[in-house]
Amino acid sequence: MIKLVSLVITATALGLIAHSAVAQKTTVTVATFPDLDRAAKAAVPRWNALHPNVEIKIVSLQYSDHHTAMTTALATGSGLPDVMAVDLRFMGKFAEAGGFEDLLKPPFNAALLREKFVSYTIPQATNTKGELVAMPTDIGPGTLLYRKDIIEKASVTEAELTKSWESYIDAGKKIKEKTGAYLLADAADIRDIVIRSGVKDGEGLYFDRSGRVLVDSPRFERAFELGHKARQAGIDAKVVAWTNEWSTGFKQNRIATQMMGAWLAGHLKNWLAPDTTGLWRAAGLPGGTYASYGGSFYAIPKKAQHKTEAWQFIQFMTVNKETQLESLRVLDSFPALAEAHSAPMMDEPLPFLGGQKARALWRDIAARVPAIPINKYDAMATDIIRDEFENVVAKGKPVKTALADARALIERRSRR
Amino acid sequence: MNTPARRRKWKQRDIAPYLFIAPFFVLFLVFGVFPLGFSVWLSLHQWEPAAGMSAMRWVGLDNYMFALTDPWFHRSLWNTLWFAVVSGLPQHLVALPLAYFIQSRLKRSRNLVVGAYFIPYITSSVAIALIFATLYSKDYGVINALLQALHLPGDIDWLGDASYTKPAVAFVVFWRYLGWNIVLYLSALQIVDNDLYEAATLDDVSFWQQFWHITLPLLRPMIFFAVTLTLIGNLQLFEEPFILVDAEKGVAPSVMTSAIFMYRLAFSDGDFGTASAVSWILFLIIAALTWVNSRLFKRAEDHDVSR
Amino acid sequence: MSRAERPDTARYIAYALVAAGALLLVSPFYFTFVFATHTRSAIFDTPPPLWFGSAVLGNYDMLLERLPFWRNFGMSVYVAVMTTTLNLLLCSMGGYAFAVYEFRFKRALFALVLASMMLPAFLNMIPSFMVMQFLGWIDEPRALYVPGAAGALGIFLMRQYISSGIPKELIDAARMDACGEFRIFWSVVLPLTGPALGTLGLITFINSWNNFIAPLIVMRSAENYTLPLALRSMQSPNNTEWGTLMVGSAIAMLPLLIAFFFCARRLVAGLTAGAVRG
Repeated sequence: MIKLVSLVITATALGLIAHSAVAQKTTVTVATFPDLDRAAKAAVPRWNALHPNVEIKIVSLQYSDHHTAMTTALATGSGLPDVMAVDLRFMGKFAEAGGFEDLLKPPFNAALLREKFVSYTIPQATNTKGELVAMPTDIGPGTLLYRKDIIEKASVTEAELTKSWESYIDAGKKIKEKTGAYLLADAADIRDIVIRSGVKDGEGLYFDRSGRVLVDSPRFERAFELGHKARQAGIDAKVVAWTNEWSTGFKQNRIATQMMGAWLAGHLKNWLAPDTTGLWRAAGLPGGTYASYGGSFYAIPKKAQHKTEAWQFIQFMTVNKETQLESLRVLDSFPALAEAHSAPMMDEPLPFLGGQKARALWRDIAARVPAIPINKYDAMATDIIRDEFENVVAKGKPVKTALADARALIERRSRR
Repeated sequence: MNTPARRRKWKQRDIAPYLFIAPFFVLFLVFGVFPLGFSVWLSLHQWEPAAGMSAMRWVGLDNYMFALTDPWFHRSLWNTLWFAVVSGLPQHLVALPLAYFIQSRLKRSRNLVVGAYFIPYITSSVAIALIFATLYSKDYGVINALLQALHLPGDIDWLGDASYTKPAVAFVVFWRYLGWNIVLYLSALQIVDNDLYEAATLDDVSFWQQFWHITLPLLRPMIFFAVTLTLIGNLQLFEEPFILVDAEKGVAPSVMTSAIFMYRLAFSDGDFGTASAVSWILFLIIAALTWVNSRLFKRAEDHDVSR
Repeated sequence: MSRAERPDTARYIAYALVAAGALLLVSPFYFTFVFATHTRSAIFDTPPPLWFGSAVLGNYDMLLERLPFWRNFGMSVYVAVMTTTLNLLLCSMGGYAFAVYEFRFKRALFALVLASMMLPAFLNMIPSFMVMQFLGWIDEPRALYVPGAAGALGIFLMRQYISSGIPKELIDAARMDACGEFRIFWSVVLPLTGPALGTLGLITFINSWNNFIAPLIVMRSAENYTLPLALRSMQSPNNTEWGTLMVGSAIAMLPLLIAFFFCARRLVAGLTAGAVRG
């Protein structure tokens, strides 16, 4: 009883404090997009308990709408939020543009915080002037998810899938022959990973430091040839990710493997193919490749209103272990904070993957993903490479010609 | 006594039209002129907008030269014109007689039938993308299943094979705007003398002759309006190809219209200057075609009168 | 006998064709409602569900959890009603002027009206934002209905309709009766434009209802989003609650359906115009 009374009193007192604080309450606007907005929404109650005077206003828009709105805001220097979420795809453009605070400078002094993150994320958030313009919040360590039941039926082993790209494709032929299932959804997936393997130090994906176009290098030739080979062998289902055909392919056991960010396992479990629980396993990408899929960041615009509070909130979202693990729990988004990787949760067996302790595998992958510098023309180069690849696989255009054309198109657009 | 009154009225009649059209022009001055001027200015600059206003760099006519010599732009123009004709023309060839049929032959079921044709126009684009992806699916789609039932080749990858993607998208455009044109023509048919239909029902031979010789000429202003709208709309075609064919798909370039090209320039390449230049080139093309269209209508009208 | 039968058969075939066409047209609309009652996993099944399911309440609950849905709905209604009312008045005025008066610069001014329809809108985002910022209209609903209050399309439509449907003698007769110019427009011409007003009202309402670019430019808080923007904000490249999205889309289509049947009545109301003429 006494306990209850004291509780009530405390509650009232807290209410009074909160009430008296209303006058000086600050509102921090966080502009974001789904699913990242859910991580922020989930963290708000704990934030409010710690910072009763700082209210968080979350403004969420569809992925491309958000980045369009932010482009407009940065262009005109007005209507900017205090905290801006930025997807990796837009980091190249936004980081170079100069609209964000350099977090290495006071009062932010994030130099020491850099050590706390999975190492490849920091170069992604650093521009050519050496400024750290954003803090990483989640990552997507690249993994090969495969159907254990299907490959066993075809007497293929995990080692055959991952040893090299050639053996991955050969395994696919066996799987197709014995089970009728496709090895993968889209041959373009192979291309996307192979261009990421063996990137030389200091080189970007499509450009080197001096902006020279790299798309006719052996790395791209090999990627195109392997992708083409898979298409010719008839082992890809020719379906694009996130379509109903893709989801159906998984549900009807017609697709045996999928390369994607580790978070895909969560989506498979929740809705893409919930009935396939226990049948999937995770492995590293074929050919000993380490790559990552996407990633999200938080930045502070130079024209933000409440930078101190914004910085507090960003730290709360990114370097707070509890918040990072909460996002993993709620959204299956993989923490960018290395410290969170030692939590017991990371070693839990995942029932969807037949009890495999896959997070530990993904943690190791994350630690080995090379840091690839970004370029503001990356998105454009991606489009052109995709189109030329289609010319190769659908129209039989020779790989060398396609890559030479891609190079010409990219140079034409980037050297202006 | 009479004169001042007449003069007053004469004056009022002189000013009235300007007052009637003033709202449009006032709003245009406030909300339209600055964006247009800005876009002209922008088309003469190289600009990555995320870098702010200070990052604009004067390049003169370079953006126009770049666009006019760009292979992708040529391709997008070809796609746009293709869509304008293939998805635009049938809309009117079907809508006109259908509206006439509905107007003259349907009584009680009229609103229901018109409603059915109009429904695609109000169906949300999310639903359209999702449902047509299902209908067009290669392995599981209804369309291929139907083809197979008719012993036709039924393994077409409608949205994944470049030779079928364009017609597949054009059909959706046709589907979506047919009802809209029917409504336009129906509203115009209301002023065509009602006795016509009663006379027409007496003799079925003359039914379509009535349509051809009497109704059609009377509908000319509305046909001009509807065709102009289709022309303008189709030359700016963006939504249907954009939602039906994922930009990540290899076949996306086969349905890349000029509007999509512009979008890619602006938001993927971060090249707003060239995107603006393209929008002005496109504007000139649309204006020219609209002018030609209005000439054609004008000539047909003169021809009729002289007859 | 045979002469009487043949048109009958032809007529039935025509009816059948019209009905089959209508069925094809309606199916995506129908599936929006069917999908609204299924989980996203079921929607992505093959074949997709053809009949209603039982997940509608769960979907609806999640919709309310993710969005201030009815507030967004109200905002959409408000903006669409304001836009439509303003357009009906201002466009019929403008179209009337271009149809019946002769005045200086008429051709040039009308060409300008037409030209304003030919400019692609989405590149105007940045300058439009600047204008709204300058006026202090950011996050204000009026930024959505004032700029388009006298749309070019509406002026064009009304001009075409009035010039073909309203006899000039009628206006001259009214002038003889010493009616003021606005009076002629308001009491003589406007009542005869029923079908065109119905069409214009419908187009304007639908365009305003579906527009998401304008709200994307000006709206800065989730409570002020209109429906299309709000529904889009639930879409993620790789994790969209399709069932929830479909419930929202289905509800969002209902006002358009009501608007249609409301306006469809206008489409016949114009029969009086013919009567006057005869």
